[in-house]
Amino acid sequence: MGRIRRLVAAVALAATATTTIAACGGDEGGDGSDAKTLKLWHYESANSAMGVAWDRAIQIFKDEHPGVEVQFERKAFEQIQQNAGMIINSSEGPDIMEYNKGNATAGLLSSQGLLTDLTDEAEKRGWGDKLSPSLQTTARYDDKGVMGSGNWYGVPNYGEFVMVYYNKDLFDKYGVTVPTTLDEMTRAMDTFVGKGVTPLAEAGAEYPAGQLFYQLALSKADRAFVDDYQLYKNPVDFKADPLKYGAETFADWVRKGYVAKDAASLKAEDMGTAFISGKAPMIVSGSWWYGRFKDEIRFNWDSFLFPGNKLHAGSSGNLWVVPANSKAKSLAYDFIDITLRPEVQALIGNNGGVPVAADASQISDPKDKKLIENFNTVSQQDGLAFYPDWPVPGYYDVLVSGFQGLINGSRTPDQVLDAIAKPYADGVKEITGK
Amino acid sequence: MAVTLTPAGSTARRPRPARDRHHRGVSRWVVLALVTLGALVMLVPFAFMLLNAFKSPGDYSTGGPLSWPSEFYTKGLRTYWSEVDFPLKLWNSTLIAGSVAVLGVVVSLLNAYALGIGRVRGRLWIVGLFLLANMLPQEALIYPLYDAAKQVGLYNTRLAVIIIFTVIQSAFGTYLLASVLSTFPRSLLEAAALDGASRWTVLWRVVFPNLRPTLAVLLIFFFIWTWNEFLIPLVMLIDNSTQTIPVALASLQGDRLMDAPTTNAGSLISLVPAILFFLIFQRTLARGITAGAEK
Amino acid sequence: MALPETVAGPRRPATPPETAVTRRPRRRGGRAGYWLYLLPGAVLFVLVIGAPLMGTVYFSLTKWSGVGDPTFIGLDNYRHLLEDEVFWTSFRNTLAMIVAMVVVPTLVGLVLAAVLFDVVGRRFRPRTAAALRAAFYLPQVLPVVVAGIVWGWILRPDGAFNGLLDAVGLGALRHDWLGDPKTALPSVMAVMIWVQIGYPVVVFMAALQRVDPELYEAAEVDGAGWFHRFRAITLAQIRPETFVVALTCTIAALKVFGPVFALTRGGPENATNVPSYFAYYTFFKKLQVGYGSAISTVLTLIIIVVAVVFIWMQNRSERQDRGV
Repeated sequence: MGRIRRLVAAVALAATATTTIAACGGDEGGDGSDAKTLKLWHYESANSAMGVAWDRAIQIFKDEHPGVEVQFERKAFEQIQQNAGMIINSSEGPDIMEYNKGNATAGLLSSQGLLTDLTDEAEKRGWGDKLSPSLQTTARYDDKGVMGSGNWYGVPNYGEFVMVYYNKDLFDKYGVTVPTTLDEMTRAMDTFVGKGVTPLAEAGAEYPAGQLFYQLALSKADRAFVDDYQLYKNPVDFKADPLKYGAETFADWVRKGYVAKDAASLKAEDMGTAFISGKAPMIVSGSWWYGRFKDEIRFNWDSFLFPGNKLHAGSSGNLWVVPANSKAKSLAYDFIDITLRPEVQALIGNNGGVPVAADASQISDPKDKKLIENFNTVSQQDGLAFYPDWPVPGYYDVLVSGFQGLINGSRTPDQVLDAIAKPYADGVKEITGK
Repeated sequence: MAVTLTPAGSTARRPRPARDRHHRGVSRWVVLALVTLGALVMLVPFAFMLLNAFKSPGDYSTGGPLSWPSEFYTKGLRTYWSEVDFPLKLWNSTLIAGSVAVLGVVVSLLNAYALGIGRVRGRLWIVGLFLLANMLPQEALIYPLYDAAKQVGLYNTRLAVIIIFTVIQSAFGTYLLASVLSTFPRSLLEAAALDGASRWTVLWRVVFPNLRPTLAVLLIFFFIWTWNEFLIPLVMLIDNSTQTIPVALASLQGDRLMDAPTTNAGSLISLVPAILFFLIFQRTLARGITAGAEK
Repeated sequence: MALPETVAGPRRPATPPETAVTRRPRRRGGRAGYWLYLLPGAVLFVLVIGAPLMGTVYFSLTKWSGVGDPTFIGLDNYRHLLEDEVFWTSFRNTLAMIVAMVVVPTLVGLVLAAVLFDVVGRRFRPRTAAALRAAFYLPQVLPVVVAGIVWGWILRPDGAFNGLLDAVGLGALRHDWLGDPKTALPSVMAVMIWVQIGYPVVVFMAALQRVDPELYEAAEVDGAGWFHRFRAITLAQIRPETFVVALTCTIAALKVFGPVFALTRGGPENATNVPSYFAYYTFFKKLQVGYGSAISTVLTLIIIVVAVVFIWMQNRSERQDRGV
């Protein structure tokens, strides 16, 4: 068969590969540029945008590194989330893996020296040019494990942000137009309430309620607030705006019937299926639903940015990190580089994801395009405000508990603000006083 | 489970007086009906699982969990099956649960022999100490066990999980068997001792055969309890090739999204071996009892 | 102490308890030989439980996030624990768990086992009894996370239970069972009963095997009704199993984690938080391994105390039985 051809192709590829590796300066003291296997883990499902794109990236990597075996394992999110420290700290860990962004995860591990410093590679390969400064915040961590400055420890491939999904058919049915300001949104919701339809599906038992609160607060916030809240630049007063506004408005919305009282025990999945089944006119949630909505929804729907906000909940997606114990570091760097290539990024965009460095002309579906454009708008204007549960480890349950109280009416906004203020203050003291 | 009606070696039961049957005629049907109703109520959640296991995601999202599927959808399950290499996970779970069941029974038996029959001193405290293994919340053990396993090179092996659960389950087994053996008829032991049997022979020739029903119960419990264990396998089994079914099922739940129909289908399938095990050993239980009775 | 008889011990010739086979401890030489049989169990115990327990106690005296080195802080964690509201709430909730996982399953399990054994097993086919028993035991075989999902469907505001209430005309009772702090705990308790009932039923049914039918016959001839026989004979004969079931269920109730994790994550507002979930959350979400270890250590101590009390009561009851 084309034995000669294959040999020539192999030699050519090997030559390319060798020069690439040499050009990248694989001289960081035996970092495995001659490694024969790349152990790669991630936890995105196979039919998700990232799953599809990364499968392709693995294929490209194999083509460009013919002598290297890629040991790819798909993991459970829960396992990595809970045990990443243990895994990376042993000899059983991978050479490159997907990991969550944020101080409590990537930040913590990097501050303990468990992740490889990628700064040199980032400079050499120009990763900094491909990612907007807003997105770089979650890729860089200082020596205390706080994001925003310091060395590169991870590289994101995609982004995520919170927006409003809406049911076009229901909007048309009740004569509601897409709001562009918060007031218009309130009036739209009044219309629905007047017709006996709960306008906003929510989920008090998981993250959505906290994200709604955060979006409301962000409508009155500026970048400085986000820096204070997320990067601990200054203490945060929970009894003052914007957080006070967020909680009070949230309670107001429950009172007015925009959010159902019995959403307190619902999980995000319930909220999502309420939208997919066509019962809910709107939900305020993230771009992670987008692919699934595309697959499963049978009515007309679309999305719009939370009206009136400059700041939105959102961030870069999960990061590719290289454990310090990795035996194939330069191979890992090559892989990361491949994931940032236009071809792979376009795959993310065309499959319902939000790429960080895609060429808009390569995105075919207009709905996909809109999603990506919305994200780029937010990202370019430095509008990504991360998520409300990020500042302190374990803050997630605190927020869930607090906002369940607001939804089922068992607590006042004041009480909730008190309840969530203390763990925040304690946690920040732990981190900055470390 | 066949209920033995013949007491040990005595005559067959006398037939019940006809008077009773007339009197109790209706009430026994009422009782049966009530109990069956209770059993059906117990099974309702499983009916839901069945309803949703073969539903397409679109169906599930649109119609909700209570709706009848519009088509018999197996693609999700088939994709999951091959992606996660379900047969391998099935094998891992069976290997671990089976090993723990057998080893746990053996360790319990050895312990209980010393405590119940040997009546070593301080046996009450020793039983309590062993029971401690069952009393500790698992989260407390994770970090130290991880450290120990790493040092011994057993981190990320099924052997580590087997050892850990053998200890935990045999705590309960020791307690149970020690209780049973402490009332073991002395006459049998004395007879064997007179025949010059060593302690070891006594254990396997005299004690073991009489304990089969109890051991069968322990086998079932240990297998099922270990089969569904989640926390420790999640921590200890990192490679996909060593993972068990509960950990594999967890991969259907991402950070923010989950696949409910496939989770149901996967769980239903994972139930089958556990139920099979239960049914198989149920019969041994019955046979064991009648065997003991005809001794 | 003669530890209690339990599940299907060897059948003895029918003798009333007082004139049981002699149990005088045999003072033979060579008792030491029995210690050898304890060796494998003891070694494993020290490795898997003893040493890690010491590790946990050590961690409880430190501040540690799980990576890097722990910092020694003495008894600070315990001091903090005493003032921690959530900690005390979680123990209060445990009392509810004990009701749902010990009291109700044991009582109902007893009656159910007796009914299945006696009425269904004897008056109908034994296979029927076995099938019904399997139905009751099935929840025990289900992974807890899946049970959580399914019960979530049932207890949701638009779920099956509310739908059922509507269907029978009790629509006024519709409620957000898991979302309202007042009804969340009872709802979780109901699920726990569902999960737990199979275990006592199986154990008790096996225990009933070894009760001599002649005792029942004698009582029947004397004119005793079913319930009277149940109380006088059944309950007395299987008292050992009752203790075992009660103790193990209590330990399970004190340690319960899975259902809370799957149904409510300890919410709403800690209404269903239990010590084990609180410890898990502290370990893995708040990344406070030291504090989590302190919670676990206190929980373990409490479990030990409860177990000791139980075994002591069991012992006393046995001695009273034998007229010692």
